[in-house]
Formats: sequence, structure tokens, C-alpha cells
Amino acid sequence: MSAPSVTADTAFRVAERVRAEAPWDVFAERSRRYEVHLQGRTVEMVRGPIELEGYALRVFRSRDGQTGTGSQSSTDLTDAGIATSLRQAETLSRFSRFPTKKVDLPRPGASLSPVEVRDPRLWDRPNEEILDYVHALLTAFEGRKGVGPSFGSVRATLSEATVANSEGLRASYAHTTVDFEVAVKSEGGPEGAPPGEYWVNDVTRRLEPRELPRRVEEWCQFAHDVRRAAPTPTGELPVVLPPDVMGQILPAVLGFRCTGEAQLRRIAPDLGTRWAPESVTIHDDGRVPWGTASSPVDDEGTPQRRRDLIVAGEVRSYLYDALHAGAFETESTGSALRGMVFGIYRDWRRFLHPPSSTSSTLEVAPGSGGSDAEIIEATGDGLWVQQLGWAVPDPISGAFGGELRIGYRIRNGKRAEPVRGGTVGGVVAAPPGTPSMLSSIAAIGSNPVLTEWVLAPTVLVRPLTVAGA
Amino acid sequence: MSDLRDHESELAGALRRLEPHTSFADVLTESAEGEGCRLDSKSVSPAREPTLRGAVLRAWGGGRWVEAATSGLDAASLRAAADSVLAGLTKAGSGAPLAGEPSTVRKDWTESPAHPLRDVPLEELIALEKDVLSRATAVDGIKECQVSILWADDERFYLNTAGARCYQVTSRVRATTVPIAIENGRVEFDYLSEGGVGGRERLAFLSSDRIEGVARDSAKLLHAGAPPTGEMSVLLDPGTTGTFAHESFGHGTEADQFVRNRSYLLPILGTMVGPETLTIADEGPYPGAWGMVQCDDEGNPGRRTVLVERGRFLGGLHDRETAAALHASVTGNARRADFLSRLFVRMTNTYVEPGDWSLEELVREVKQGVLMEHSTSGIEDPQGGQMQLKVKKGRKIENGRLTDTVTSMALSGKVLDFLKGIRGLSRRSDFEMTPGYCGKGHTDLLPVASGGTYLLSTAIVGPA
Repeated sequence: MSAPSVTADTAFRVAERVRAEAPWDVFAERSRRYEVHLQGRTVEMVRGPIELEGYALRVFRSRDGQTGTGSQSSTDLTDAGIATSLRQAETLSRFSRFPTKKVDLPRPGASLSPVEVRDPRLWDRPNEEILDYVHALLTAFEGRKGVGPSFGSVRATLSEATVANSEGLRASYAHTTVDFEVAVKSEGGPEGAPPGEYWVNDVTRRLEPRELPRRVEEWCQFAHDVRRAAPTPTGELPVVLPPDVMGQILPAVLGFRCTGEAQLRRIAPDLGTRWAPESVTIHDDGRVPWGTASSPVDDEGTPQRRRDLIVAGEVRSYLYDALHAGAFETESTGSALRGMVFGIYRDWRRFLHPPSSTSSTLEVAPGSGGSDAEIIEATGDGLWVQQLGWAVPDPISGAFGGELRIGYRIRNGKRAEPVRGGTVGGVVAAPPGTPSMLSSIAAIGSNPVLTEWVLAPTVLVRPLTVAGA
Repeated sequence: MSDLRDHESELAGALRRLEPHTSFADVLTESAEGEGCRLDSKSVSPAREPTLRGAVLRAWGGGRWVEAATSGLDAASLRAAADSVLAGLTKAGSGAPLAGEPSTVRKDWTESPAHPLRDVPLEELIALEKDVLSRATAVDGIKECQVSILWADDERFYLNTAGARCYQVTSRVRATTVPIAIENGRVEFDYLSEGGVGGRERLAFLSSDRIEGVARDSAKLLHAGAPPTGEMSVLLDPGTTGTFAHESFGHGTEADQFVRNRSYLLPILGTMVGPETLTIADEGPYPGAWGMVQCDDEGNPGRRTVLVERGRFLGGLHDRETAAALHASVTGNARRADFLSRLFVRMTNTYVEPGDWSLEELVREVKQGVLMEHSTSGIEDPQGGQMQLKVKKGRKIENGRLTDTVTSMALSGKVLDFLKGIRGLSRRSDFEMTPGYCGKGHTDLLPVASGGTYLLSTAIVGPA
């Protein structure tokens, strides 16, 4: 499988030089990064190309009835450099122990269809496209009084990923990733309130300048609302979580607790455990178009696919990479991803990190809750969480909580005044009988939206703990 | 370890290529490597950090910076990177000269630890980890334990067109123990983690008492209740006090936020913001601290910068440009996460100076409140002046006594209100400097440390 634009053969070149017994694999990327940084409405810095080509070479060796895994990453593509990496990987494998007797690496021949993860315009004209995007961003702020960007950045990474292994697999694909950040500041005005800010952080696969006028309008409104926000109420309240916020909370916990890694450490829920009401179904899908973790194959070369995680409220399956699949005598689910940090951020230098089994895009199945307005109406009185400072879910205990940067009271089924401050939190998932965010889902909207790590509709949780000012 | 100074002629050649076309250019080259092992009851996972080497070239384009980076240190790769910068300079056009004074410092910082961890055989580190694992899992309720030990050497070599030439090597060591308690589907943990610049001596904290202690604390959390919520007295442990310093007067005083007009602190520069007992500083060369910076990535030596002195807000952390814009001095805080990342004004080791209370006296001050222990994260709000601190656990304080253990919680509120509410800080004997990673926004993570002693104030507490 090879997209026409892929010219890199990094992993294949390394593989040709590997003189070692099977099994082994190589993951490599050749990346170019381009950045534009703004200070106010002025371009402060233009960076690029930031060029990086490197690989991770992994060997698997039988040791004492288990497997010793040795991995070495490097940017040295010379014969001597590859030989050194292989020697170091072999050395590490002597100390490593993992409880599987057999590691099945993916074989060639799987029928793969492309996944939309490459922005072709960005790929062909990175500098121009980014500068055009920045121009569109600044244009969208023009004519607005008392509100504008205080700083921002657009960082685009254009990568060619290649995977090779001792089974003869040779896979490659090209992908683009855009890290976008802007701080929208509202100030001045007759009311004399202190300035307010709405801070936007997005990771996407493509630049979509046509979306900017609508989004800037929303961001400016949020920045204005920060200035007039009332203190957050306290109590056990019905709380509405839009897709952006769900994306901060769900992946870190579900993407760990429902994996072979958690199963091995005895902290995964038993299959069949009821974590949520019957209305809740969550799939993990590595092929969602433009998903930030989507790709034709995972970082071990196994085809990505759609996986059941929670079906009708019950935990249905776990996610596996090759190593953990071996430990449980099952097959990899194509869930080996490199570079995940805190479960919510992915390092663009993926070859520097070992793969781990984790979720790609969590798809929360749409419910019958209707539009956001209908979810709000169903809430009655409660709280709409627009943005948390940082939810920082704890993958092990499942606890999460973050400061409310901006939210809205819901009164009599209508969105009312903005509120800010205090914290909103709880436990994402808990054993049956213990209240949790998942078990307290009372309504699910009908319109899923793709954000960084989830494809989810707006959800009503009744209740969550809110500690207000 | 190879020496980046061996590439000086190629690096200088790249700068010479840029020099006719710019008023200022510099190059930072970096080589990083390390090794570590993560171990639990099921697996042993040794890992060598990648040997990541490369250089970033930067030139002033008369109004904006132009940068390019390469992972090759040969003449051809550096020439290609220089050509990319030249192409960017052409597009940038001419403009104002770069404000501020360039570094002309020429110095090497090459002190290495007496007992580098790189010299310790991997099997010896694994044996130590297995010993930690067995001690932790011997405690009732502990079903699993993750242990990790790592070292990382970072070598940086900086040259600029003004003649600066700075070389430094930093050797970091860190170890972490996470005993995991499981009962009836509930999973809890506490942690023990220390790290800093140095060698084998950095692992001395892995004593039986401390390992068994943290394991017992993990098990206790299985039966801990939820924290109280609402506004109350909060007593921060030393590590959490350090995170408070980092999130409040660390990020808030990074002077690029001043220049962006994005700091709520700028209008109150020079005013009293807290009690006279409060002094906050950032110190790059703090001996042995995880965030040690002898020389920043613009060639300026690190130093101690007092941000708040006896309650008065004195100033911020600077790079060359912000110092020029705000008529201040450079403070040695211009840092890149690595050669692939842009330079920002960043913290190093940020801490609150100790006070003169004992912990017992601080607890006695509290009628209803909570002791917040083991910081897990924090986030700043430079424009809005709020902060969020999260901790792994705590104790209720009732009528001047520490009572029940409670699970993880978050503190939030306005920094200035929190400062005004400070009632006391404990003595130097409680002082701790804690290692961590800091992002500029959500990216560009780099090592920093934060420190302090017990601190008593008032804030909103909620679940986390």
C-alpha cells in the first residue's frame, strides 16, 4: 500500500541492512515541519523546513520462555549507524522480559484502502498555505473592536511514514498534521471589566480557512463572555459536555483501561462489566477520515480498523498491539501507536517513542438527544462546560477535573449567563454501583463532531460535582 | 559521548554564509542521549533514548525571525539549512535591526557527576528496580508497582555572529515508584519521584522506609473518601507550593507574555502582591536541580532572578528581545525544548523561599480545610490571572488537626486572591525541589524544577 505522494523509503532502506534473525521491525518517518508564529496581528517568526528523518529498530528475542524486546531509535542512516542501532537493540533485548512466548508481526498482503489523512494543498505548498491560512485568520478579526489575537501559531508537519518487518511487510503512507493555537483577547469597552481571553488549541489533519470566519466569531464571543462571567455555582449539577470537552476526558482513561496493557496489569475492567447505561456505545476507529490518530496501518504495520469498546453500556473488548496480543494469545487490533503523551497530545517525532496500545478516535454513538439546544432543554437547570483549563484525566484511577475557563448556566432549558472559575470533575468510569461520568450519562445528542481524539455528540451527565467560587 | 565542538568549523561556516544577509544570526546544536528501564511485576522494559543530534539556525529578517533546522551536522546539511534561512530572509525583506544586545559570552560548562549513571551497568539498575518492586508489593493491598530509573545527557553548543561561544553538558537522573492498589474494581496509587542533575547519588532516596511508606499510602487511598469541595483553607505540601510558584509567578512573568500584552501581571509591576513573607525566584544554576541551565540558548548565563521579593512584584524572566522591549536585563531564560523547537522565554527552577512556621503551627491555624499533597499537574492562565493545581491526595484539617485521607483534588482560583490569603510558610527544613516537565501551552515540554515549603492560604477545592 503506497500513496502516490510517498517517496520516502526510510524503513525499507534500514530493513535491507538489518542482518538479524526474525522477528524484528522498523518504523520510520521523514518529516518536514513548517511554522508561523504570531505576536498580536504581526508575524513574529517563520520556521521551516525543520527536517527530521529517523527510525526505530526493534528486535524480539526468546528469553526464559518469555520475550526480550530491544528497541533503538536513531537519525543515523549510515550503514555504521544502522549496525550500531541493531547492536544496541540486541543488547537491550537481553535485559528485557515480556510475558509472551510468541510475537506475531503483520504479514504483507492485507488489502488496504487509503485513509484521508493528508491535506494535498498543504503537502504541495506548505509555506504558502500556512501564510494564506494566517492571512485568513487575521482577516476574520478585521473590523472587530476590542477583540483580537494576542498571539498564535500554526505548525504543520508533513510526514512520510514507513513500516517494514522481518515478515516482508513494506507499508507506507503520507500524512499531515496541523497544530493550531491562538489566544483571543477581549479588552476595552465602557464597562471597565478586566481583559478576557479565550485560548484555542487544536490539532487537525488539514487547514480549513473557510471555517475561520464562523470559528473566529465564536471565539470572540467566548472572550467577551469571560469578562462578564459570574462565579460558577457549587453542587452536584447536571452538566453538559460538548465534543471538545469529551475529547479532553475520555481518551486518556478509555485508551488505557481498555487495553491489553491494563489487562496485563490487572487494572482493566472485566469484559461484560457495565460501565454505562444501555444508551452508551463507544467504538474506537483508526480509519475516521481526518482523525488525528487515523492511518491505513498502525505503527507496527497492522491495518487500522473499527473496534468495539463499549457496546450498550458494557465493556466489549480490549485494544492490543503485537506484544500484548501475544501475551493473551489473541491478535493485534491495529492499536499500536507511538508518541502519545498524557493521552491527549501526540509528539510529531513518533519514531522517538516506543509503541503502546491505545485508542485512535473514540466514536461515541449518536443518541436521540437531538441538537445542542434540545440537550440544553432536556437539562432544565445545570451547567454547560465550554472549556476546562486542563482536565488531566488519571488513566489509572480514572479521576478527572479541571478549572472552568468558560461555561454557561442553563436555566429553564435555555443557555443563560456565562460563568467561570471553580472546578468540574469526577471519575470517568467506575465499577457498577459507583457513580461515574459514564454511568451518569443521561442524554446523548444526535450530531457527532470530530475533534482531536473523539467523534462525539454533546452529552448530558446528570450529575457531576461542581466546586464553584 | 561525542563532542559537538568537533563540528565548530562547519557550524561557523553556516553562520558565515548567513552573515552578509542579516544583522544577527546564531546556531544552536544539540546532542541528547540516555538510557533507562521501566519495570513492573509483569515486564522489564529497558530503553535507550535515541541519539538525537542536530542544529537549528536562526537569522533576524528585519522584523521577524527566520529559522531552519536539520538533523545532520555535516557541512552539506548545515549548508542546506542555511540556504533555507537565506530563502526566508529574502521573503522577509529588510526592516528594523534586532533590539537588544547579543551575547558575547565565551565559556564552557563541562562539570560532570562524580558517579555518572551512564557508567552503572543496566543489570545493576534493574536489580535495584526489582528490589524496589519487591518491597512495594510486599505491602498489603499493593497488587502492582511500576518502577523506572533513567539518565539523560544533554549537550548543547551555541555560536552567534557577535562572537558568543558557549558549551554545556547537563546530566540528569530521575527515578519514580508507583505502587498500585486494587480492590473490588477500584484502582488507586500514590507515587514517589525525585530527580535532578547529578549521578548515582540521586538514587539514594529509594530507601526501604520511603518505598514502603508510599506503598502504604497507595493502599490507604483505596478507602479514602472524596475531598471536601468549595472555598476553604488550603495547606500546600512543598511540592505543590513549588507548582504554585511555577503556575502563578512563573508563567505569568515570562516576559514574552508582557510583550504580547497577555499578562495580567504587567499593570501591577512594582506593587505589593502578597505578604512580606513571600519571595519567589527562578534560578537556572540552582545546584543539582532538574531544570538546571548554566547557559541559555541565546548564550546568556543562567542566574537567580527574584520575581517577588518580600511581597513586592519586581519583574520577569527575559530573553534578549523582551529585555530590550521592557528596558530590563537578560536573565538567562531563553530556552528551546530541543534543536527542533523554537526558542521561548521559559522557567528553569522556580521556588518560593521558606518562611518561619512549623508544619504543626500551620495546621493549628486551620479550622476547616485540607492539606494538598503530591502535586500532579498545574496550568496557568496568564491573561485571566487564574490557576489550577491538582494533587494526588490529601488530608482533611478539622479544628487544627489532620484527620481523614482524601483522594485527588484540584485547587482553583485567582492568583492574586490566593496571594493575599497567604497566612504562613514553613521553615527551610521542609524545603523540597521537585522535578517536572513544563510546556509552553501544550507543547515544547522541557525539564524544570519547582520548590517550596508548606504554604497556607485560601482557595476553591474541587474534584480531580
